[in-house]
Amino acid sequence: MADISLQNVSKSFGAVDVIKDISLEVEQGEFVVFLGPSGSGKSTLLRMIAGLESIDRGKLLIGGKECQDIAPGQRNVAMVFQNYALYPHMTVRDNMAFGLRNIGMKEKDIEARVADAGRILEMDALLDRRPSQLSGGQRQRVAIGRAIVKEPAAFLFDEPLSNLDAALRVRTRVELAQLHQRIAATMIYVTHDQTEAMTLADRIVILNDCRIEQIGTPMEVYTYPASRFVAGFVGSPGMNFLNSDVAVSGKEATATLGDGSRVAMSIDVPEGGTYELGIRPEAVHVVTGEGDTTGEATVVENLGDRTLVYTRLGDGSSVIALDDGRSQVAPGDTVSLRFDTSQLHLFDSSGRAYHAD
Amino acid sequence: MNLARTRRVNIAGAIITVITVIAAIIWAFPIYWGIVSSFKLEDEVVRPYIELWPEHPTLRHYWFALTQTQIGSWYVNSVATALGVTVLTVSTSLLVGYAISQLRFPGRRVLWWLILASFMVPTQVLIINHFVLIANMGLLNTWAGIILPQLIHPVVIIVYKQFFDQVPKEFREAAVMDNASELRILSKVYIPMNWGVTTALSIVTFIWAWNAFLWPFLAVTRTEMMTITVGITQVSDAFGVYYARQLASAVLAGFPVALAYLLFQRRVTQAITLSAGIKG
Ligand SMILES: Nc1ncnc2c1ncn2[C@@H]1O[C@H](COP(=O)(O)OP(=O)(O)OP(=O)(O)O)[C@@H](O)[C@H]1O
Ligand SMILES: [Mg+2]
Repeated sequence: MADISLQNVSKSFGAVDVIKDISLEVEQGEFVVFLGPSGSGKSTLLRMIAGLESIDRGKLLIGGKECQDIAPGQRNVAMVFQNYALYPHMTVRDNMAFGLRNIGMKEKDIEARVADAGRILEMDALLDRRPSQLSGGQRQRVAIGRAIVKEPAAFLFDEPLSNLDAALRVRTRVELAQLHQRIAATMIYVTHDQTEAMTLADRIVILNDCRIEQIGTPMEVYTYPASRFVAGFVGSPGMNFLNSDVAVSGKEATATLGDGSRVAMSIDVPEGGTYELGIRPEAVHVVTGEGDTTGEATVVENLGDRTLVYTRLGDGSSVIALDDGRSQVAPGDTVSLRFDTSQLHLFDSSGRAYHAD
Repeated sequence: MNLARTRRVNIAGAIITVITVIAAIIWAFPIYWGIVSSFKLEDEVVRPYIELWPEHPTLRHYWFALTQTQIGSWYVNSVATALGVTVLTVSTSLLVGYAISQLRFPGRRVLWWLILASFMVPTQVLIINHFVLIANMGLLNTWAGIILPQLIHPVVIIVYKQFFDQVPKEFREAAVMDNASELRILSKVYIPMNWGVTTALSIVTFIWAWNAFLWPFLAVTRTEMMTITVGITQVSDAFGVYYARQLASAVLAGFPVALAYLLFQRRVTQAITLSAGIKG
C-alpha cells in the first residue's frame, strides 16, 4: 500500500503556478528524493505534504487518510529543516520532547523515546546541552532526533546537509542511509545535489518547472533519462549533446553529425529529421585508429583512475570523452573518438527521449 | 611612521575625551547641584554666590520629607501604579505584537496602521477625554484611575512586532509541525527567544510610568493617593517655597529610578536604543 499518495495536486502563489498537476505514490519504507534545479518547486511540494503550504487542488493521502485539509501537526509526518530550527533556549532533551509534550504524552514515555532516539543517533552525552553548544553535525543529528521521537509515518527532509562542510556532508549522508535501513521508515528528501540523490534514493523524482520530469530508480534515471532535461541534469560531467540529422529505416537509424560523420544505431524513433544526439562521456572512447569521428583535444583532466578529454569536433561542437588513467593524450592532439552506440539517446524538439538498444 | 600614527590617534582620542567630559559635566552639574543643595540649610541655598559644598551639611530636609509628609504612601502608590502599568502594558503589547506579526487575520493591516497612527497622537491631546472618562467611571483618586490611561504605549507593540518579525519562520513551522497550539508557540518559543526585549521594555515602561506627572496630577486630588512625582509638589505648599526641602523630596523620588538605571544599565540603554530607533 502506498504510504503517501499525491493525486493531481496543484498549487499557485497568486498568479504564479508553482506545482502543476503532480501525482506520485511513495511506498511504505521507501526513500524518495526530489531532485531538481533551484526554483523547480521541490521545497514547495515537500511543504505541501508537511502541511506548511496549502494544497490548492488535488488530494494528499498519508497512510490511506486524506490529509490535504488537516493541520500539519495531525498528519503524522516529521520535518527536518535545512537550518535545523532547533529552539535555542531549550536543551537537546527539551527540543526533542517539545512535540511530545504538546500532545500531552506522559513524561515517562517521553523520556523513554528521547533516550531511544539518543541511542539510535549516538548522542546520549549531548542531551543536556543547548544547541549553541553543539557542532553543525551534532545539531543536524538533534534535528533528526526531534523527528525520530515522534515515530512518524514519514520523514521529510529539506536539503538537510547543505549547511555542513563537504567532509561532514559525506559522512552524514552515509549515516542517513544507515538510519533509513535501521528504522525502515518512509523518507522524502529534497536536494539539488545529484550525488545525494543517486546515493540515497530508492527512487528519484526529478522536478523541473513545477512538473515531474521523471520518476525512477537512480540507475533508470541515469541510463534512460525520459527527457532532454533529465539527461542534462543528471550525471557529472554532463551528457554530451550534438545536433544531428537522423535518417530512419525500420529499427535502424543513422545520425549525421555537424562535422559530417555518421553514426549508426538501432533505435525506435517514429520518423527521421533533426534530433539532438546525447551520449555520456563514459560512452565516448578515445581510440587509436579509426573511430566514429575525430576531434582536437582542448583540455585534458587526469583524475587518476580516469581521464576526461575535452575535445572540439570539426564543426566546433564539443564532446567530453573518457580515457583511462594512463592516457597519453595532450592538449592540441587530434584524437579518434568511438561512440558506444548502445548508449546513444536521441531527443526530439520537444525534449522527448529515445534510447538506442 | 607608526609612532606618528599612534600619536595622531591619541590626539583625536584626547579631544573626544575632553569634549565628552565637558558634556558630562554640563549634563551632570544640575543633578549634583540639586543633591548638594538638599543637604544645605535653607538660607545657604538662597545665597547669591555658588557654593559647591554645604557649609553645614544637614539631613533635616530628608527627615522632614520622611516624617512630615505622606511620602510613604506616595512611594506605595508609585510602585503599585508603575508596576501595574508595566505588567499590563507589556503583557497586552506582547499579545498584540505577536498577533500582528505572526497571525493572519482579516483586518490585520488596518489594525497595524491604526497602531502606527495612534503612535503619532501625543497622549496629552487626549488628556481631557481621559479625565472625563475616568471621572465618569468614578475612578479618580484610585490606582485604577491612574493606571488605565497610561496603558497606551504603541511603541511597545511596535518593538515587539519588529522582534517577532525577525524570528526565522522555521521556528514557527517547526513548532506547528510539533503540534504546538498558538499559545504554546508564543509562550514556549517566541517569548523565551525574546527575553531580552521583554526585560528591556519592562524596565523602560516602568521608568516612564514612575516619572509620569501630568496624568497622575490630574487624576488624584487626595494627598494620600498621590504618586511620588505629584506628592513632592505638595511639600512647598504650606509656607511658600522651601528649595532644599523640595530638592530632598525630589532626590527621594528619583532614587528608585536611579537605582534601576544603575542595576540594569545595559538593558536600559538597549531598550532606549530600541524605542529611539523607532521614534527616530
Ligand atoms: N511564499 C512564496 N510566495 C511566492 N512564490 C513562492 C513562495 N515560495 C516559493 N515561491 C516560488 O515557487 C517556486 C518554487 O520554489 P521552491 O522553494 O519550491 O523551489 P526549490 O525547488 O525548493 O528551490 P531551491 O533549490 O532553491 O530551494 C519558485 O519560483 C519560488 O520563487
Ligand atoms: Mg528549496
